[in-house]
Amino acid sequence: MTDALRKLAKHLVLIFCAVVMLYPVLWMVVSSLRPNDEIFRSPGLVLSDLETANYEAGWNAFEHPFGYFMVNSGIVVLGAIVGNLIACSMAAYAFARLEFTGRRWWFAIMLVTIMLPIHVIIVPQYVLFSEFGWVNTFLPLIVPKFLATDAFFVFLMVQFIRGIPRELDEAARIDGAGHPRIYLRIVLPLMVPALATTAIFTFIWTWNDFFSQLIYLIDPDMHTVPLALRAFVDQQAGTNWGATFAMSVVSLLPVFLVFLFGQRYLLRGIATTGGK
Amino acid sequence: MRPRLTRRTLGKAGLLGAAPAPLLAGCGIGGGGEMVLSDEPVELRIAWWGSDLRAQQTNEAIEAFQKEHPRITVRGEYKEFGAYWDGLATTFAANDAADVVQMDEQYFNSYSDRGALWDLNEAAEFLDLSKIDPELLPTGQVDGAQFALPIGSGVLAFAVNADLFAQYGMELPDDTAWTWDDYADIANELAQRGGGDITGTAITGGVDVGSLRYWSRQHGNELFAENGDVSLDPGLLVEQWEYYAGLIASGAADTAQQMVEDTGAGVEGGRLATGKTAFGLIHNTQITALRSGSGADMRLLQLPQNGTPANFIKPAMYWSVSAGSEHPAEASLLVDFLVNSREAADILGTERGVPANTEILEYLGPQLDESERMAVDYLEAVVTGDPIRVTPNGGSSVNPLITRYGQEVYFGETKPEDAADAFIAELQGEIDATR
Amino acid sequence: MTAAAELRHLKGAAPKSKPQNKAAFWFLLPWFLGLFAVTLGPMAASLYLSFTKYNLLQPPEFTGLANFERMLTDERLHSSLAVTFTYVLVSVPIQLALALGLAVLLDRGIRGLAFYRSVFYLPSLLGASVAIAVLWRTVFGTDGLFNEGLALFGVEGRGWISDPETALSTLITLNVWTFGSPMVIFLAGLRQIPVMYYEAAAVDGASPLRRFTSVTLPLLTPIVFFNLVLQIIHAFQSFTQAFIVSGGTGGPTDSTLFFSLYLYQRGFGNFDMGYASALAWLLLVIIAAFTAINFWASKYWVHYDD
Repeated sequence: MTDALRKLAKHLVLIFCAVVMLYPVLWMVVSSLRPNDEIFRSPGLVLSDLETANYEAGWNAFEHPFGYFMVNSGIVVLGAIVGNLIACSMAAYAFARLEFTGRRWWFAIMLVTIMLPIHVIIVPQYVLFSEFGWVNTFLPLIVPKFLATDAFFVFLMVQFIRGIPRELDEAARIDGAGHPRIYLRIVLPLMVPALATTAIFTFIWTWNDFFSQLIYLIDPDMHTVPLALRAFVDQQAGTNWGATFAMSVVSLLPVFLVFLFGQRYLLRGIATTGGK
Repeated sequence: MRPRLTRRTLGKAGLLGAAPAPLLAGCGIGGGGEMVLSDEPVELRIAWWGSDLRAQQTNEAIEAFQKEHPRITVRGEYKEFGAYWDGLATTFAANDAADVVQMDEQYFNSYSDRGALWDLNEAAEFLDLSKIDPELLPTGQVDGAQFALPIGSGVLAFAVNADLFAQYGMELPDDTAWTWDDYADIANELAQRGGGDITGTAITGGVDVGSLRYWSRQHGNELFAENGDVSLDPGLLVEQWEYYAGLIASGAADTAQQMVEDTGAGVEGGRLATGKTAFGLIHNTQITALRSGSGADMRLLQLPQNGTPANFIKPAMYWSVSAGSEHPAEASLLVDFLVNSREAADILGTERGVPANTEILEYLGPQLDESERMAVDYLEAVVTGDPIRVTPNGGSSVNPLITRYGQEVYFGETKPEDAADAFIAELQGEIDATR
Repeated sequence: MTAAAELRHLKGAAPKSKPQNKAAFWFLLPWFLGLFAVTLGPMAASLYLSFTKYNLLQPPEFTGLANFERMLTDERLHSSLAVTFTYVLVSVPIQLALALGLAVLLDRGIRGLAFYRSVFYLPSLLGASVAIAVLWRTVFGTDGLFNEGLALFGVEGRGWISDPETALSTLITLNVWTFGSPMVIFLAGLRQIPVMYYEAAAVDGASPLRRFTSVTLPLLTPIVFFNLVLQIIHAFQSFTQAFIVSGGTGGPTDSTLFFSLYLYQRGFGNFDMGYASALAWLLLVIIAAFTAINFWASKYWVHYDD
């Protein structure tokens, strides 16, 4: 098989996959541009005419414009990303590079903490944060991230740090560098892909997280995007699906853009920074 | 009779049986205020479930209330129905619940029985109950204590697509004198004339608690007994399931698969709204969503009476005052304003169901739009039997339960007799577990 | 011998096994704080609650092992375990294979990479959106896209979501559809493989397949391992998608009743938080066992550079 043919085949496979994967998403975009009584009666993707009323209705559905909830979500997301990047990378450095008493046990405990479903944790945790007076603030959603409670990312970074050749930090140590310096100057720059992964995932998961935001953010002034979106749904009086889809599309945009532009940081590994 | 927990006895129990784990010390309801007005400025929280429209209207009503009572500030909180109950349970567990909470018939007993709600009779000074429809008021009571105040009412109805009747040259039935046999004949006829394009009816019974109650009441039976036990005659449930299984088999009704899809799609996206079947079971107030979602000529018909009135008026929702509220008197004032004042009625309309306050209903009459008018007219025309008995503590899962067993029967996985026995046993087990 | 090691050898630097407790303490301080102040308390509380009858509104009542005895005869629990195990064992391997395959395809040397990557990631962004339920019905409903596709080949479809026999497989498909997360992690991992290894392989004249099996795969094993462990944990805890698609019921007829969904129904729907806590700890034991086996087996196939 020649190179050109192989490339063509590769593209065909990719395009086919892309179309299959994207159909539902496109359907949602198209539906957001349809009048409500047509949404469930026209399964195709062809639009008879553009109806932007859903966007207006959705944007102004609540006492705050929808953008207000996006700003709230943005605050939570930003706090969570910064917290995760700092705290998880520190913990990961210790687990991957330092010898200390009971390392395996601490690591096991860390993994166990992500094995319990949130639904039984949430009530005692709510009681705890309520004692702190943190209910109805963003603190319960942000502060734990600064305390590396997202063990998922610690584990992720541990795996990446273990992939960085040890010779690099040993050379630095011989030059007299201590651990803070090795962590800052050698390990962090070399694990940019892992940090970017962490940042992107934290962004997306926090942006979409429903249950804990539902429990802690009580006042509508504190509501975030997932709460506002879910508030469109009404089993009894009927849901304005057009507006729901429209705002789903709007809330999807920032996440999509973050990924589109953030992904190049995924690609800055040892391979591109030269490494060794 | 099982002992009823009041706020005060529970407070004592909480002190005596304090949980060993310090974290849980906050659990258990208690520490609420006295039923007197405060001289200080008061801050209240009110929580409800519902859509954006309800949020807008309720916030507007709250503002009107604040104008009338400058000393009181009110914060509104709203969530989607399912999320609302998760949040409510959590805040009650932390003794951190809103002062006024919107309640549902299937849930309020689960809260009141555990001492989480005020008996509103104690708030008589602030909250007038005298204008509430006397048929509805008892549906918020347990042993005479008014734990929940009905806001609006709803009643079971068949919704029919009159366009489909016209299209296939059929007459709408006379709903004041028809039987289940007539209904079956009409559904069969529609399905035949439809030639596979439509079915006659959705599955309108055996998978929801409303139709189950209707069927059993039609035979002089009740789902729940006075003492809170399950008193359903399993034979009647079997009969209802077999009736619908017959309709499914003959092609008159949707298949079990179509039923599941229909439930998932909601009122406005379901098979009735999209013109794939002619009959559906709804609450009268859902006609508004149905008409706007379908664009079709939807009408409301009474369920077949077979000579015995079995329908019942069920509050669409209630207001309750939580036992942990520090300002129950002000909270009661707020409820009074929302339910009894014309000012609030002007803002809220019939969005929470046909108002339970009869004077307000009369006052609103001229303002209703066409769909709301249909719902109110239907409510006035419908022939009802005795009021239903409220769902006991532990019965909050009766609807998911009947859905699951009904689906098993219609999918042919379980025999109706076995499913009926299992349904009753499981429901009774849930109730027993709370005692 | 590398230059660094040689240097250390000459200088007689301390052997690397000396404990570095002090440094480790400072690096782990945030995590320790989180563990003791935020995480362990609620975990301990849920463990205690698993030995009680607790309805959320009244103080818990100690009942010993009653909750755990009840598990033996709880048929819905048994069926939810069957559903969950099927889901984990089928969806995780498929999802990971797809994610790895596409990551390798999308790694380098093809036009429009950034676009493809973003497109493949898009479904994962939708994740827990309420819109998913409606989307999935338009694809797998009786009149859905999937059946229209089948009709082209003369195959008669069915209501895939509404049929108890196929409902679970639509959720497995949904999970596979959101393979974006493991794919991104694979992509990041691929970028960490030093170019020199590929250069060396190219000098040896290795074929692309051989380069994949002898360079890429071995060096990627820590990441494969990570994805495997985490996806298994996530799949066991899977909740949101089944919750949204089935409207919280786990239906039709419990065919999509995932373990976490059942636990949630008991805890919040039936005010049965004591039993729900016991169920959560059962799940923890199951997941921990799977993870431990994974770690044990990793000794035989995961290669670390250190």
